[in-house]
This record gives sequence, structure tokens and C-alpha cells, in this order.
Amino acid sequence: MNMLMLLLRNLARGPSTDAFPFGDTFTPERLRGRIRFDPELCTGCRLCAHVCAGDAIHFDETDEGLRFTLWHNTCTFCGLCEHYCQTKAIHLTDDWHLAHLQQDKYAMIEQGVVAPAACAGCGCRMTAPVPALTALAYRAGNRRIEHLQTLCPDCRRKAGVTGGRS
Amino acid sequence: MTTYTIPVGPLHVALEEPMYFKVEVNGETVASVDINAGHVHRGVEYLTMQRNFYQNITLTERLCSLCSNSHPTTYCTALETIAGIRIPERAHYLRVIADEIKRVASNLFNVAIMAHIIGFDSLFMHVMETREVAQDVKETIFGNRMDLGANRIGGVRYDLDAKNQDYLSQQMERMKADLAEILDIYRNNAMIALRTVGVGVLPHDKALDYAVVGPVARGSGIAYDVRTKAPYAAYDRLDVPVVTETGGDVRARALVRLREVQVAIDLIQQCLRDMPDGPIAIGGLPRIPAGEAIAKSEAPRGELIYYLRTDGSDKPERLKWRVPSYMNWDALHVMMEGNRISDIPLIVNSIDPCISCTER
Repeated sequence: MNMLMLLLRNLARGPSTDAFPFGDTFTPERLRGRIRFDPELCTGCRLCAHVCAGDAIHFDETDEGLRFTLWHNTCTFCGLCEHYCQTKAIHLTDDWHLAHLQQDKYAMIEQGVVAPAACAGCGCRMTAPVPALTALAYRAGNRRIEHLQTLCPDCRRKAGVTGGRS
Repeated sequence: MTTYTIPVGPLHVALEEPMYFKVEVNGETVASVDINAGHVHRGVEYLTMQRNFYQNITLTERLCSLCSNSHPTTYCTALETIAGIRIPERAHYLRVIADEIKRVASNLFNVAIMAHIIGFDSLFMHVMETREVAQDVKETIFGNRMDLGANRIGGVRYDLDAKNQDYLSQQMERMKADLAEILDIYRNNAMIALRTVGVGVLPHDKALDYAVVGPVARGSGIAYDVRTKAPYAAYDRLDVPVVTETGGDVRARALVRLREVQVAIDLIQQCLRDMPDGPIAIGGLPRIPAGEAIAKSEAPRGELIYYLRTDGSDKPERLKWRVPSYMNWDALHVMMEGNRISDIPLIVNSIDPCISCTER
């Protein structure tokens, strides 16, 4: 095709660029953007921190519970954390509005605290297994599994030996 | 006539990445060239040995932007060879789709830059606009315009549902007509021919001597393509025509790249047609025993080789890769001699050098 004809055709078609910021721009559903963490679903297995190439994910124990911190400025948005998270406590949203002022750079984090539970057996503080995980492991639960969920690992082992009569 | 030396680079308006060329010139003509590399060495090979196998999926993907998917695919293949993992059939096809979409975008980018160097910016914009279809496909299916994040150890981590398959198929179909027009322009436009025909010639015998790979080899008539010579993923089940041109000049290499975009689109459509249902990855987290493996793939720039040695821990003991640009840039000595100074950027661009993955 003649180059001039092609240019005329492109001229008639009008601009191809999005009107952003004055209009909407192309944002597909699967876009890997700002990370959201749901502490209700987190089991504290820390696999997300293990697979994170940039070391953007940190866990630390606080009085309130296990604290998850993700630094958006260190994150590469590769999505491995979401992929390997069994209960999908981490989700990459399609929100790509991550531009911020220099003074806000330390606030570009996603944080959440996984509340501890008390063991029904000995009363010690523990990270409770979340229903989403037991649903994955056992599909249909039963009363014995529901009971074991309320126990810490030590009490669970005891309950296993004694056949659940704790 | 007196000869004198002019430096091109390492920072130069016509170079996309830092590279230092010491060019001996006779008037306007290049007499010889000395290439000095190492300006973007970042120690990534060492870094991979400090990171575990999962982190390295992401790290290898960020070696290079244009062939980013070839790196983790080849890396995962090497790991799977060591661990004796057989990945599901559907994952093989999905890996081909991811690789070929990247090839479409990478090759179109290079031929667009060629037009830009010539000063033919209206063509540059037009090719980039066509490439934008591939960019939108990547963003829609994988979630990012450059780094697809398609791979995991033991398979892939994206799937195509019916809606996405339709979308992908439509977009590939949409590119075909534009691509035929672009190919026609690169073949027949007088301005393109004036700047590219007979420029930067790499004759067939020299191409063999320098062991060049990828579109550079195929532009000089060497029908070498890893996808057919040593098929990986699903390539042995697909019909992969090897594109060659005989000119050995800048235009021949551009034509190979454009025709390979057509082949890539055809391969994606073959995959969509033949892809079986089933799982996309093995379950669980595999244990990687001690061992070593070599994996190869055909990246957009040519043959990419990964060597991986493990010692039973969760980190590589050694990870080394040989990238196609390493073989190709030495051939610049042959290509540049006898050409004009003004053609230097054009010839450098014609080997599509990826300096970031060569110097890592």
C-alpha cells in the first residue's frame, strides 16, 4: 500500500491515544496493580514472603498479632505472591494509580494484622487456621476437624494420640 | 586520505542502550570498528545464586524487557529437567502462546525503530500503533504490558477461558491486514530500500564463521531455528515454518522479523485450535534435587541457552545463560566495514542487540 494513502487513512481515523487524564483509559480486569491484603484469609504461612524476589513483603509479631507489610515501592507486581497464596489472602487489584509525592513514599504500603486466637485446649496464643484453608485441605468439614481447628499444634498432637478426647 | 577515529557511544542519541564503538574512518567510510562492552553489567548471574528458585522466576524475567518471557520459560524448563517434572500438555501450549505474543511485540518494535533511525517517523508511529494491539493483548491476558508473569515451576500460572481465547483470536486476526501492509512497505518502499538494501551486509559464509543466531542468521540464509532444530514446549506438535532471506543486509533482517511476526500469529492460532483441556501446572511445591541441566529456546533475537546447576538446596549453585546478542554483535565487525558513518546506528539496530541481557 502507498504510504501516503496509509497516512491519509490514519488521519481520518483520528487519534489512537486515550484521552487520559480527561477521560477513561484502558484498564483490563487482570491488570496487576495495587496489592490488597485480607487478614481474615491469611494463615501466616509466609510463602508470599518466600517467593517475593524484591523482598517487598515482611511479617513481624506484634501485640495485636502477626503483622503483614508490603512495600509498593519495592514490589515488582509480578504476582507470584498471589499465585502461591493458597487462600488468596493477597490479591493484585486493577488499580494502577500509584503515582505519589516524594513525602508519601513511606506510606505506599499495604498492611494488615492477623488476629491471634486462644487455644481451646491450653489457652496459649496461636495463629488460627482459617476456614478457607481447611476447606481446601478437607473439602467437606466435620465436627472433629472443626474442633481440631480451635487447638494449638501441641494440643492437636495430643488430641490425635488420644483420639480427640481432650 | 587520512584515517581518524571517532567514538560512538557509550551514550549516544542513536543508541538505545550503552555500547562503545571505536570507529576508524576513511573520510565517510568505516574502515574498522572496535566494540567495547560492559557498561550495564549489574551482576545478575551472581544475584540469582543469592535468591531461591521461586524468586528467580521473577528475577530472570526482568533481565531484559523485550524477550522477558523467554528467560523464565527457559529457566523453568531447566529446573523441570533437573527435578524430572513433566508439565501438563496444556501448559506447553500456553507457554508457546506467551512466547509468541512476546515475539510479535519484540520484532515489531525493532522494525519500527529501524524506520525511526532512517528518519521515517510516520512509518515508525504506524508500526508502533500496530504493535499496540499486541501490548493490549498482553495487558488483558497477563496483566502487564511487558512482564507477562506467565511461568511457574511445573507449568504456567495463567489460563485462557473461552472469553479470552475469543479475544486473543480476534486481536491476532485484526493484526494480519495491517501486517501485510507493513511488510509491503518494507519490501517495496523506495526510501526504505535506499537506506537498507546492501547496507550492513553479512554474507552467508561470514554468518557461519561468526555463528550468528536468530533473525541475523536467517537474514543471511541460514535456516537455524531452535523451535525446529531442538523443539521444546509444544513446538514439535505445531507447524513452524523457518523464515529465511538471502540478502544478508539490514532489509533482509527486517523482513525476516516481519515475516516471523506473521508466523508467530499463525502459531498462536494453531495453539488456540489444538490446545487440549486440562491442568495448567503440577500441584504442590516440587523438591529440586542436586543436578545440572541445559535448556534452550528461540527468543525473538535467537537461540537462548540456560545452564543450571543445583546442589539440593533451594538456591541455584550456578546459573548461567548465553544470550543471542552475544553471538550477533561480533558480526558487527563484518557488517560495518565499508559502510558510511551515517549507517552505523542502522546496522547496530539491525542485529536487534539486547545489551541488558548480554551484560546482565
